[in-house]
Amino acid sequence: MSAQQGAGGSLYEKEAKVYPRDVKGTFASLRKLAMVVLLGLYYIVPWINWAGHQSVLFDLPARKFYILGLTFWPQDFIFLTLMLIIAGLSLFFVTAVWGRLWCGYACPQTVWTEAFLWLERLVEGDRNKRMKLDASPWNRNKILRKTTKQVLWISFALWTGFTFVGFFTPIRELGHSIFTFQLGPWETFWFLFYSFATYGNAGILREQVCKYMCPYARFQSAMFDKDTLVIAYDESRGEPRGGRRKSIIPSEQGLGDCISCTLCVQVCPTGIDIREGLQIECIACAACIDVCDQVMDKMSYEKGLISYTTEHRISGQETHLLRPRIFVYAFLLLALTAGVLWSVNQRVLLRADLLRDRNALYRELPDNMIENVYTLKMINMDFKQHQYRIEVVDNDDMVLFISPDPTLEPEEVGNFILRMQAPASAGHGSVKVDVRFSTMEEPIIERTVSTRFLMPYE
Amino acid sequence: MNTEHPVNRRWNMRQRDWAVVFWISFLSAAAGAFVLFGLLNPLDMINGWADEFDIGVRLAYGLAFTFLYLVCLLASALTMFMIRTGPSSGHVKGEGRHSIPEIHDPSESNPDLDGEDWK
Repeated sequence: MSAQQGAGGSLYEKEAKVYPRDVKGTFASLRKLAMVVLLGLYYIVPWINWAGHQSVLFDLPARKFYILGLTFWPQDFIFLTLMLIIAGLSLFFVTAVWGRLWCGYACPQTVWTEAFLWLERLVEGDRNKRMKLDASPWNRNKILRKTTKQVLWISFALWTGFTFVGFFTPIRELGHSIFTFQLGPWETFWFLFYSFATYGNAGILREQVCKYMCPYARFQSAMFDKDTLVIAYDESRGEPRGGRRKSIIPSEQGLGDCISCTLCVQVCPTGIDIREGLQIECIACAACIDVCDQVMDKMSYEKGLISYTTEHRISGQETHLLRPRIFVYAFLLLALTAGVLWSVNQRVLLRADLLRDRNALYRELPDNMIENVYTLKMINMDFKQHQYRIEVVDNDDMVLFISPDPTLEPEEVGNFILRMQAPASAGHGSVKVDVRFSTMEEPIIERTVSTRFLMPYE
Repeated sequence: MNTEHPVNRRWNMRQRDWAVVFWISFLSAAAGAFVLFGLLNPLDMINGWADEFDIGVRLAYGLAFTFLYLVCLLASALTMFMIRTGPSSGHVKGEGRHSIPEIHDPSESNPDLDGEDWK
């Protein structure tokens, strides 16, 4: 036995299971709307085709990413990096202005937990019924309800896992492979892994992910300031709290507006008491606002005892929406987004790489000619077939020979042998050469690549 | 007992945390590099760049190890940060811990809420 255990046991204890009560109201409706839209997009988008391809498909074996009619190649990796930076900056911006809006409404953990909770309520009932069911001994009713819930959860998780793999393997082929038991080993692994992760995170771990596992929750304080939107309890108005009849006048009884019904705690998906002040565990889902407003309504008190507010407003000061950090985030976000859109729009749908033959620097041919040999790798990034014209820019001495014929099908990668010849009198040593590649068809797509032509030094 | 002599302090908790992060990341990166290069030849993977940079095999090993070490450092440091900055309520027993929120039937002390659907 360790000294710690000997001195009174472990410092940690298991947390009690949270049974969030269902809540109705403006923010609950917004949360449900966000859930339907986001999950709808997730499950439907891979089934929609765009420009002859699945609308979003990360085709790893072919090393091509199809995103809404655009094709991204490995050479376009910079765009993916920039898009991730834009996503990160958007999160900074939204957090600085609206606080944990992402956590409460759009985070996959929140959205899937909401969906799993909805299934749980459907089978086991609301909070009190679920608590009673868990506390009751195993009987026919309990076995039936628990089994039904698990079947629904597992089916939903498997569908989620299937859709996830469907972003990497064409989803129609994937569906066919599953029903004909021809799923490959890696697809099977990711299908089951993502299903398990969904089931574990949304069904079992739930609020523990937000409280203990999510790094964003820990880092967000760096983006918060006293003008950031938070959910807070108006202590000056609510305290001292206490039960009462509706007919009394609270101030005459020495009471504030909080009637200590504890419903704000019961609806909280992370099981905290918002009246204790701002807490890292609060995911800003606003369930406590909805339920408290209902109670205030029932008691004929003014709504807003718990509300979206800012630290400045709580302390009686003015809230500033426009502040330096908002300008900085907004400027960076706009500049990067504009830059990426412009670059994607200006992208040349042709790539050409010239690699020198490493076996020989140059060859001396009869007729006093020098030859360099290159491997040419060309990628036709367009959706149309193209035949290419290849020429040396501003150098009449150079002659090019290419084999085979430089024609590429849509999205084809081709390897060619390019031989470049020049008279020995054209120069000495390493000569810079610009080679232009252009399509024969209109509109012309062209790219110029620089390389070195090696000649004898003497 | 003579207590006048200054005591040589050992490292504090934060220093020990960082020492663990650096050392465990080093071991993990070394094991990772060992397995990786047991299976793959780094020169096969960097063939495309060879023309421009002419990376030798030792430099390739060194770069790959450095990359692995940085990834392991990032993961370890983030893990340390997550564990050391966890919420104080509802987790650790003792001082600084919020009590478990009290929950009861809303109508218990508010008779006018009786009959509502939140019992």
